[in-house]
Amino acid sequence: MYGRKGCQLLKELSSSEKGHLPQFNSDLFEQVFAECSQHHLELQSLIRKMQEEGLDVQTAKNADHHGALIHHLALVRNKRCLMAYVYNRADNVRSLLWKIGHVLPKEIEEKLSHSEEVYFKKHSARLKSYMSSLQVDLTVDMVPPKDPYIKIRVLDDIGEGIVLSDDKTANFARHSIHFLKRTDAEQFISRGLMEELTG
Amino acid sequence: MASKSNTVEEEEEEELTLPTDEYEALISTTDVELLKRAWRNEKSAPEILRFESDLINRVTEQIQLMEETVEENSTDDADPLSLSLYQMDLDRTLFLLRSYLRVRIQKIEKYMFHIRKTEELWTRLSKEEKKFTRGKGYLLQFSVAPPKMCFQCKHKIMLVVVLSLFFLCCRCTDDLKKHVEENVLSRLPENYQSVLKQSVISEEDDMVPEPQLDTFVLCRSKEYLTGIQLEDGPVDDRSKLFEMEPGVLYFICYKSIKALVESGKIDLL
Repeated sequence: MYGRKGCQLLKELSSSEKGHLPQFNSDLFEQVFAECSQHHLELQSLIRKMQEEGLDVQTAKNADHHGALIHHLALVRNKRCLMAYVYNRADNVRSLLWKIGHVLPKEIEEKLSHSEEVYFKKHSARLKSYMSSLQVDLTVDMVPPKDPYIKIRVLDDIGEGIVLSDDKTANFARHSIHFLKRTDAEQFISRGLMEELTG
Repeated sequence: MASKSNTVEEEEEEELTLPTDEYEALISTTDVELLKRAWRNEKSAPEILRFESDLINRVTEQIQLMEETVEENSTDDADPLSLSLYQMDLDRTLFLLRSYLRVRIQKIEKYMFHIRKTEELWTRLSKEEKKFTRGKGYLLQFSVAPPKMCFQCKHKIMLVVVLSLFFLCCRCTDDLKKHVEENVLSRLPENYQSVLKQSVISEEDDMVPEPQLDTFVLCRSKEYLTGIQLEDGPVDDRSKLFEMEPGVLYFICYKSIKALVESGKIDLL
């Protein structure tokens, strides 16, 4: 049936967990393109046939006209599906920037297509230049602050010599517990290197 | 929360002497409170609102002032408690500012094609330009301004904010356009390659995601408002005019109160 593959492509995207990006399905993606070319060929041949019969393509309402119309509509529908797929994935890719930061972990990077990676890097550079011109870092402070300081536990060896905003250095050995400025800790928390201790 | 660090204590003292409602009236006009309102509106509105450039400008200056105060006090041995109070005040204001700018960028990210192509915007800007040169200027509903008018702007920060948002929006649109062109459009038949239209026979731009203006929002009016035309519901009901009492919460279709939100008569929650 026409248009089923495009629909499948989108269903796959929408049935995945919210904020979770599934692998780019290039196989199905290509199949939809193949279907598009097929529609286009049939559309052209029907129009050619009408022209050979000396009919006006715009006004003649014969079987060929309606056939051509169906191919046109199927093509447009497939275009919408493909666009929605790429567009919504791009949306997800951008939201990764806000949630995870400018460096993607390997397991997520694998799920992106090559051009999505390029797009991610470009967009990340855009945001960075925007933020540096404003001199405001917008990727920290994602939740309303309750206390300027929070207690954290280091989950992974981050290493020594990390300079905090008050120009002091700290040794973040694994499993050590620190009392840090929230703005300092947030970038590590979002990368999964620290966790906030509550209560 | 006070807007300026050096007035924190003064206002705290005033709290003790002034009657509560007077104190609230005083507090509600501080820039932080205005920012909070702008932020709440921006967060709840489905579309991007006018950029509060004057307010952002003032808030940024105040934040700088506060940062300096905190820094000065942290070098000499000032009372750590009051220092931490300053810091908290600063952090909260910074959060508001960041979140406000963030919400706006995310809206731009979402609807960039729509924002770029909305003609009304560009034509409206030239009208606003006069206002702007007179120094009154809050303009730039979508904060995309032709760069030429930004040079007339007195404030450096405003210039930066406006220009960079303008460029951000332009460049992001170009990036995304290129991304979809490479992946989809260039591989489709010739008549189907437009980003804005489904095919060449579409008369209007029917491929552009637009903000949904008929969603429902929670809102509150500051004054008694009457004659609001409801834009949803059965057709017979639409001729009835709706009125709003001050201070009462309403759950209403955004489209019906869009103009009132823009003029600042209604606050979104």
